[in-house]
Amino acid sequence: MAEILAYVHKDGFFHRLHPFTKIAFILLFGLMSILSTNLLFLIVLVIVILIIAYCANLSTEVMQQFKLIAVMSVILIGLTIITMPSGETIGYLIPSFIPVIGGHLPITTGAIDFGLVLTLRFMVLICVFQLFVISTQPRDIVHTMERMKIPVDYTLMFLIALRFIPTLQIEGKRIHEAQLARGYNPGTGILGKVRSVAPIVIPLVSNALARATVLGLTIDIRGYRTRTRTRIREFAFQTRDYSMFIVLIAAGCGYVALIAKQIL
Amino acid sequence: MIKLENISYTYPHTVQKALHHLSLSLKKGSCVMVTGPSGAGKTTLCLAASGILHHEYGGKKEGLVTVDAIDVKDYPDLTALAQKIGIVFDDPEAQMIFTTVEEEILSAIEHRGLDVAATEERLASIIATTYLDELRNRSPHNLSGGQKQRVALAATLALGNDILILDEPTSELDEHATKRIVAILKDLKVKGKTILLVEHKYVHFKEMVDTLIVMEEGQISAIGRPDVLLADDRLKKIVIADFSGIRNLLEKTSASTKSDVAPSPIIKVRELSYAYGDILALDTISLTIQPGEFVALVGENGSGKTTLVKHFNRLLTPTRGDVIVNGKNTRECSITDLARHVGLVFQNPDHMFFADTVKEEVEFGLKNLGITDGEKKIDAALSEVGLEHTRDLYPRWLSRGERQRLAIACVIAMQPAIIVLDEPTTGLDGNEARLVLEILKKLQQKGHTIIIITHNRDIAINCADRIITMEKGMIVSDSYTGGN
Repeated sequence: MAEILAYVHKDGFFHRLHPFTKIAFILLFGLMSILSTNLLFLIVLVIVILIIAYCANLSTEVMQQFKLIAVMSVILIGLTIITMPSGETIGYLIPSFIPVIGGHLPITTGAIDFGLVLTLRFMVLICVFQLFVISTQPRDIVHTMERMKIPVDYTLMFLIALRFIPTLQIEGKRIHEAQLARGYNPGTGILGKVRSVAPIVIPLVSNALARATVLGLTIDIRGYRTRTRTRIREFAFQTRDYSMFIVLIAAGCGYVALIAKQIL
Repeated sequence: MIKLENISYTYPHTVQKALHHLSLSLKKGSCVMVTGPSGAGKTTLCLAASGILHHEYGGKKEGLVTVDAIDVKDYPDLTALAQKIGIVFDDPEAQMIFTTVEEEILSAIEHRGLDVAATEERLASIIATTYLDELRNRSPHNLSGGQKQRVALAATLALGNDILILDEPTSELDEHATKRIVAILKDLKVKGKTILLVEHKYVHFKEMVDTLIVMEEGQISAIGRPDVLLADDRLKKIVIADFSGIRNLLEKTSASTKSDVAPSPIIKVRELSYAYGDILALDTISLTIQPGEFVALVGENGSGKTTLVKHFNRLLTPTRGDVIVNGKNTRECSITDLARHVGLVFQNPDHMFFADTVKEEVEFGLKNLGITDGEKKIDAALSEVGLEHTRDLYPRWLSRGERQRLAIACVIAMQPAIIVLDEPTTGLDGNEARLVLEILKKLQQKGHTIIIITHNRDIAINCADRIITMEKGMIVSDSYTGGN
């Protein structure tokens, strides 16, 4: 089964980068996408990320996210249309030919524009974060965070959160199967979704809580709090990392220059 | 090495003591095996002996636990205790932190203060002794239960401690894999390690066990040399599951069903193949099961047994071939329709419980099928499995053995003609396992078709009419047992 946000064992250029380089990459791309409201620039960012994913042999994994992103974009654009009308009106959510209630909720260019910006931002954030997580072993993430002097509790919290994503996914599927076998048929539509919550979520949460206790104990027993660690199989900064940094710095400078010249 | 003196413990928010004035001493190089019914306090004993109870759990504690003659309370934290004790918990999944097997094992070694060469060397030797080489780069989450247990053990062994506390380390392992673990542990014992083992498979471990303990209701009800304990008939039934005679519970009726003129098969599998992505899990399987049969499906971990039974109620749809249940092709039926005919009890009962009471839990399935006169059926199902007294309790408070039986009750209340159980005796002691099988045998007597997946050949031989052995997605043998 395809797991979301789990490390994928492959040999690609992104896998070989030092985790620190990858964190710098996330930060730069994240920052640029959050600060920018220029549609064209965001599209360029997405294209760059997709090219990187392709070169890193991770495009299938990244593309899997697009279904989620598509759903999210519909919701986001819908929300901006309803809540932030601005600019020209190009139509109505409730068409005007419908009597009485027709002609309400105008669809405006400003709202669509902002909705698209939000979507693209999320797209950039989701994709860079995913690229990082699927190409870096959690052990290396923990080590890098340690080196960055992030307190051990935060590091371990991050580790556990990452660790639980695939588990919850797999468990959820098993629980779903177990309930299906009991003739459970919540039906479709919103009502079905609401009805389906208890039989799936209650076992999922109860099991996860029980599991979290043991997981916490295991982490302690393995000595993750000792901070005395054999420096083994660690990433060393290599030429590719330096080159990547140069590219990132250049990109960052370029971005600042574009802003300074008020092009963005 | 470890000494428990007059330990009593009550979990937070509960009244009943989980451990009751318990004393125990573990000598260096000895192997102590603890067994007993589920809910007897075996896991709590492991937590107490490893000092986890004192450091990480609330609740009321009395008595003294020492490790290497030092009170566990005087160890600064769990990490300090973990320099001496390695523990394998009973839930292997919860002990998998990382995303590859190798990383998992390495994570246990790299904090031990070894140099790089020694770390690599220990990693290589642990992988070799636990036969994990081919799984090295796999994600632990995608392994089978048995494989996960092996990884959990490997990671604990990797700590290199002298004391090992193992809470049911082989519960999900097949015969072959259990023997491997036994061999590894025997070897460790020879090397002077002290082992506290909670297990239900005494027979596999008998050569290495020095002291046997039977726990009941939070107390040690018997402790001593295995041969002395096993001389007691009552204790023997707890320690070693005895399935003999189960078949004879209903010899007469099974004879009468057999004499019927060939009834039409209840399940017919025609050249079924199933692939998970690129991996072929089932390879052109053909099989016919008659109504009223008691079939045991045996085979090693990962041989495709669970994948096969998931086709019976269409949790999986064949990649190729057909599955006909009750004369209908499953491709044309919905899972809900099939739930009326096929009840599937999964290995881990905790995957299904969500209601506030046992009664509501059983009722859920009935409501799903639109059955109205539920009350009677619920009571009947609960009394069938001997759980009438738990009707208003919260399902997750029941012991493992009771939860297993509740899972069966949930399914039989729906009155399916076919009842499929995946490893119904996991984590149960001898008496509980026998009880479950007696229940199944009675259901067979009432005309249900029973299919169980099991690693335990003893169960297959003593209870089933027919044993189907699977290997690498294929049926390699299919034979009738006993007088039939």
